[in-house]
Order: sequence, then structure tokens, then C-alpha cells
Amino acid sequence: MDSLIIEATEDTPNVILSQSENKFLISDRSLPENSIEFYLPILNWLEKYSVNPNPVTHFEFKLEYFNTSSAKQIAKVLLMLEKVSKVSDVLVKWYYSKDDKDILASGSRYEKLINIKFQLIEI
Amino acid sequence: MDTKNLNYAFEIFEGMQLENLNYIYRGNFSQSITDNILLLTESNLNSTKENSKIRKRVYSIMVEGLQNITRHQEENAQDFSEQPGIFVIQKNGNNYFITTGNIIENIKIPIVQKLLEKINGLEQDQLKDYYKEVLMAGEFSNKGGAGLGLIEMARKSGNKLSYEFKKLNDKLSYFYLHSGISFIDEELKQIEDEIQDSLKHIITLHDILNTHNIVISFNGAFNQESLVLLLSIIEGQSVSSATTKKKLFYLMVEMLQNIVKHAINYSNTLESGNPGMFLISEDKGNYNLISGNYIEKSKVQELQQKIDQVNNISEDELEHFYNKNLLDFEMIDSKKSGLGIIDLRIKSNHKIKYHFNDIDSDTSFFTIQVTVN
Repeated sequence: MDSLIIEATEDTPNVILSQSENKFLISDRSLPENSIEFYLPILNWLEKYSVNPNPVTHFEFKLEYFNTSSAKQIAKVLLMLEKVSKVSDVLVKWYYSKDDKDILASGSRYEKLINIKFQLIEI
Repeated sequence: MDTKNLNYAFEIFEGMQLENLNYIYRGNFSQSITDNILLLTESNLNSTKENSKIRKRVYSIMVEGLQNITRHQEENAQDFSEQPGIFVIQKNGNNYFITTGNIIENIKIPIVQKLLEKINGLEQDQLKDYYKEVLMAGEFSNKGGAGLGLIEMARKSGNKLSYEFKKLNDKLSYFYLHSGISFIDEELKQIEDEIQDSLKHIITLHDILNTHNIVISFNGAFNQESLVLLLSIIEGQSVSSATTKKKLFYLMVEMLQNIVKHAINYSNTLESGNPGMFLISEDKGNYNLISGNYIEKSKVQELQQKIDQVNNISEDELEHFYNKNLLDFEMIDSKKSGLGIIDLRIKSNHKIKYHFNDIDSDTSFFTIQVTVN
């Protein structure tokens, strides 16, 4: 299936979703004016991917900042990955920088709320 | 809820709410901050119905003014931290006012004053010749060229330059330079009296800003573009720690997006974005972020209840409340994520202060303050 690549802007994240390269990444900043609109293609892509996923799916989040409306959409992405995990070995790699307790706290929160393998990684 | 100390924020807003642009920056002027100030005002000028000829003139006066501040800042590096520079742009009807303020050594005052008097004594066509004269002199000495910026400001504004020296001590004074530019049917208009009045107003305002140590004050069109630019100004600030800076950034995003999404465009003066205010003040390492915007009076009660609720529940309950909202996808409209206020409370780790002012029978003005340390 076609990859979904979105380049980062000042207020939207960098997105790489590629089945052929087995790379799944959301990074940089996420504070779009309309989060639903921004995350919709990502959710649609994952929905399709869930039909026939790779045996192993390591999904990386390397977010620098995100706003609360993105937080909700990220929760949706993670719930979609929970669905993928029924048929693929899914691991969420949640990166945070040492001095950023908020990103770490968000990662731990998602780990508790969503039934999926999580790895919190300091960078 | 003690809201007394939030009144000054509304007072500033009322005092400055001339029309649709009002931006004050007080602090260190680095290149990136200067660039962002220019971009932010440019984007706000573009959001008004002004024609490009007027915008260009306002813009070039701003550029000269900002260069003036940075130049003085370099010269007085050791003195300025106590008395930071200030930049103000205001719009009132067809009048624009641009003010810069910076510290100056008392011994330099006579030279600056003489130069200003010389420029103010010249008519528009004479200014053009004088500009050339100074420009030519500049080719022969490094010192020449001083005053070119001032001549340019006088030429572009079509008015005399207004100024004031306010003595701080035996050695230093504060130097305010103030330009006004006005139009009627795209023709420049002289407004000497208004310029004098508005300078007095700014000097008074500057005292309030000094008292409350306000570093940024922005009234204008709030949209995603101005949000991104205001955020970059925060990134350019020297803040005590990286953690605090990041917190400020988080809180600012939520507060500003709150204005972008929930505020009402009261009196419909703006074409793109909602009118509102945003202030940052600093007090011994504590930062207060204050935002204000118009809301429908019918929503006041619900909002008040929600803030009281997040202020008065325990940390565990807050966490639970956040999680419940996070996974509630029933609210289809992304405009109502409902998480913002809970997040402000959790991230700041302080109670949220707020205040409502009555505007008219349908409208209130909502001020909210979040503290970080």
C-alpha cells in the first residue's frame, strides 16, 4: 500500500507511514488549528493497514510538543494500533527528552489507558 | 476566588483597546525577536483592511524604530537589563502610532535632541535633501549615517517626530521616540496633537508594565498564524530553565488556541481572527500568563463551573477527569476537546485565576491567568 508522508511545519508534525520500509513515525510539533482534519488521513491509513499489516509494527512517537486537541487524536491513533496488535506484533516507542516531564507523563498516561506494548525511551 | 489582582489586565486591555492592533514588547531585543515582532505586526496589518501603501509606510517606520533599539541596546549592554527596551505599535482609526523606548546616557541627550530638532525643523522636501547629505557624509566616516533612521521615520510618517526624555538617575534617562502616521483617502495627514496625547498615554502605560513586569502584551487578531509567531517570541526569550520554557510554551498554546477557537469576534472589527489580549508578566522567576477574550454571556456560567471544578478537585481526580475527556470522542467538533482547561491546571500546578467583565447584555469579557514557576 502507498506510504503516507507529511512534512513537518511550524505547527504540524512530520509523519512517515510506510509499510514497505516498515517505518511508522510521528515527530516534531503537533498544534494544528484543526486536529481532526490533520489526523484523519493518518487514521484512515492505519485502518487500511490493519487489514493486512506487517508481522512486526514498531510505531515511533518523537513529539516535541502537542496540544490537547492533538492529544485526543493521538489517543485515536493508539486505539487504532490496539486493533492492529490483534494481527501484528505492535510496539509503541514513545520518546521523550530528559528535561521534558510532560511528554514523559503523557506517554505513561497512554500506556496505562491503552492496551498495547509501550516503551518509554529517553533521548 | 480572589480576582482583584486580575483587574489590571482588563484595565490594560480597556486602555489599549483602541481598535484592532496593539502590540507591546518589553525586554531584550535579539535579532530573532525583532524579526518575529515584524512578522507578527505584518500579519496583523494584513488582517486589517489597510491598503499596501499605508502598510509599507508603517512597516518601514517599525523597521527603523526596532533598529534604533537594538543599536542602543548594544551601546548600553550593562545598563539595559534593569530598564529593558520597549516597542509599541497601536492603531486607532486611521492613525498608527509607533513607539520605541530605550535607555540613554544623559551626556548623549543634547546630541540626540539637537538632531531631532534639526529634523523636525525641516519640511518634507528638505528632509529628502538632508537624507542625501547625511548619506554622502556616511561614506567618508563610520560615524556618519547616524540619524538616517530618524530622517527616514520623519519622511515616512509625514509628521514631526515626537520624543521625551525621562530622567532615571544622574547618569541615565529613558528615551521615548514616537511616530504617528495618519491617512485620509490614502493621503498623509498631519496629526500633531494626537501624537502628543498618545505619547503621554504610552508613558503612563509603560509605568503599569514596569510595575507588573509585563514582558509581552498583545491585543489584536488571534489566529493560528499570530499564535505561531507569538510562540516563537517565547522561544527567543531567556527563561530560567528549559523546563519552564517548555511549560510556558504548552500553556501558551492552549490559551491562545482557546481564543482562536472560542472567542467571539465582538463588533466584527477583524477580518481574520478574533480580538483578544495576551500578556506575560514575570515576578521573581514566576511567570503569569494572562489571556482575555470576548465570550457569549450565556456561556459564562458553564465556564465558571468548569474552572471551579478543576481548581477544587484533587490531583488524582484531575488525572481521572483528564483521562475521561481524552477518550471521549463523542464530541465530534474538534473545537470542543474540553481538555484545555484541565491541562492548564495540571501543567501549571497552580489554581487558575479568572475574571468576567460585563460588556453588554449578550457579551462578557473573560480573563484567565495561569502561573508557572
